[in-house]
Amino acid sequence: MEDLAREIQRLRAELEKKKEEIQDLRKLVNKEIDRDFPLDLDAFSEKELDTFIRELISSSKDFTETKPDLKPIKSHRKSIGKPIVLLKRILLETTFDNLELFLDKQMQFNRRSVDLGRALFLRLRVEKERMEKVEERIIACEESLVILKGKLGDLRAGLEEMKGRTGGHF
Amino acid sequence: MQAASNCLSRAEVILNLRRPFLAIYDHAFHFIGGAQKYGLTLISALQDQFDVTILANREVRHKDFQDWYNLDLSKCRIKVIKLPYYEKKGAAHLDPAFITRKVENPFHLISRESGEYDIFVNNSMNEMVYPLSNVSVLICHFPERRPKSYFYADRYTNVVYNSRYTAEWIEKKWKLTPHHHIYPPVDMESGVPEFPKKKQILSVARFEPEGTKRQLEMIEAFLRLSLEWPEIVRGWRFILAGGSHPNNRYLTRLEEMVGKNPGQNIELKINLPVSELKSLYRDSTLFWHLCGVKHEDPGEVEHFGMTTVEAMQNGLVPLVYDGGGLREIVDHGVNGFRVRSGAELLESSVRLLEGPEIIRQMSRAAREKSQLYTRARFEASVNTLFDRIFKNYITP
Repeated sequence: MEDLAREIQRLRAELEKKKEEIQDLRKLVNKEIDRDFPLDLDAFSEKELDTFIRELISSSKDFTETKPDLKPIKSHRKSIGKPIVLLKRILLETTFDNLELFLDKQMQFNRRSVDLGRALFLRLRVEKERMEKVEERIIACEESLVILKGKLGDLRAGLEEMKGRTGGHF
Repeated sequence: MQAASNCLSRAEVILNLRRPFLAIYDHAFHFIGGAQKYGLTLISALQDQFDVTILANREVRHKDFQDWYNLDLSKCRIKVIKLPYYEKKGAAHLDPAFITRKVENPFHLISRESGEYDIFVNNSMNEMVYPLSNVSVLICHFPERRPKSYFYADRYTNVVYNSRYTAEWIEKKWKLTPHHHIYPPVDMESGVPEFPKKKQILSVARFEPEGTKRQLEMIEAFLRLSLEWPEIVRGWRFILAGGSHPNNRYLTRLEEMVGKNPGQNIELKINLPVSELKSLYRDSTLFWHLCGVKHEDPGEVEHFGMTTVEAMQNGLVPLVYDGGGLREIVDHGVNGFRVRSGAELLESSVRLLEGPEIIRQMSRAAREKSQLYTRARFEASVNTLFDRIFKNYITP
């Protein structure tokens, strides 16, 4: 048993050393551990929807224009790299200038869509505030009803007592 | 690599070469909280059977646990693993909500650490820790976030939940069926006889800056009660006790409201020591709790309702919101009332204030029901679960 225990300890020490060398958790468990999850908007609560809409509208501004990302243009070739980079730049710039004509309408549509989204969200907020005021009035009415019910009960009790005292004649 | 390491670990335990290693993690162990009390009480019940390590992200001491929760965890080791991502930000609260796939998961330091134990317990309300241990237990106090970046709740071999309400939302939000139900431990009995009690209505809840515990609504209800039923309410006080951070605008608002109605016997008591809180429970007759009214998110409703059980353990008759975990604790009309609005709160309160005999009956029933949530019961459930886990672990 002691030999077994020693052997296990030795193997553990070896494994621990190897584990320390592995930085990526996926390599440690030998599988992919992260996944994408679909949005389940139907299941969102009021608060979650509010937050989602606000974040979406805020980030949509970044997508209204269709200009490409300004990534640095590179070439991996050593000797003819520079001329290739120059050619790529010229091609991109001339192509994009022509594409802008076609994409102009798309960009206009994008901007209007974002503005529409913002306007609808503001309208929603106004309606929500109106609903909250209506709910407060209903709550106040319910409380008043409870109070009236209580007072009616007291009146009824009072009347019954009088009836009892006067034998039903007032 | 991890699988091989786990195999060796299991062999060591099966061959009785050592006690099983168990770790419990919570990114908020350095704060006082109900969830933290749950996790620490759990390992308090296990520290004789397992070699326990408490994993924290900030410095915390055994003495803190003793002072905050009356728990002696001196048999447990404490290991602090600082997370560089949060240390750089100087964040007091390590909020996982800020982590997206655009940054590397800072909690993977804990994931790696979990592989050093036979059983890893994540008490953290944080699904971003990937369990590498042979056996893993996720304690879900409520599923606050939907599956997004770094979601690993379904990788745990056991998911424990604190109420049927929490279980329902685990299924809805995470599409996951949790495994084991263990109600939280509540031990606030003051050990005094049932009566006499004072003419006192008590509320115990944190003064959250967002007002989600609804102290404002309860003060308005008490003022209405005093105005419309002055004869019945004469001599009654309403005390609202709870914790608060400094510069709390909601609390300031409540203080102003109470200040405007000086003759109405309403008091606010902030950050009371446990001994004073116990005195309030001992002396009070009714317990109001409206957290959940006007909620816009299921997370704003009590997932369980520990303060309600604390009140019932002391014979207070609870009048609570009809939702969340409170539906499991309070049986309407038997050991208290569940209400959906301020109007129903008024109606039920008047009924009780006019009928001292109903108070007596319900008080007894409340004490009886509260016995389902004692620390002893909690520890028994924990031991049953972990005995089963251990038995399966050592059976090849």
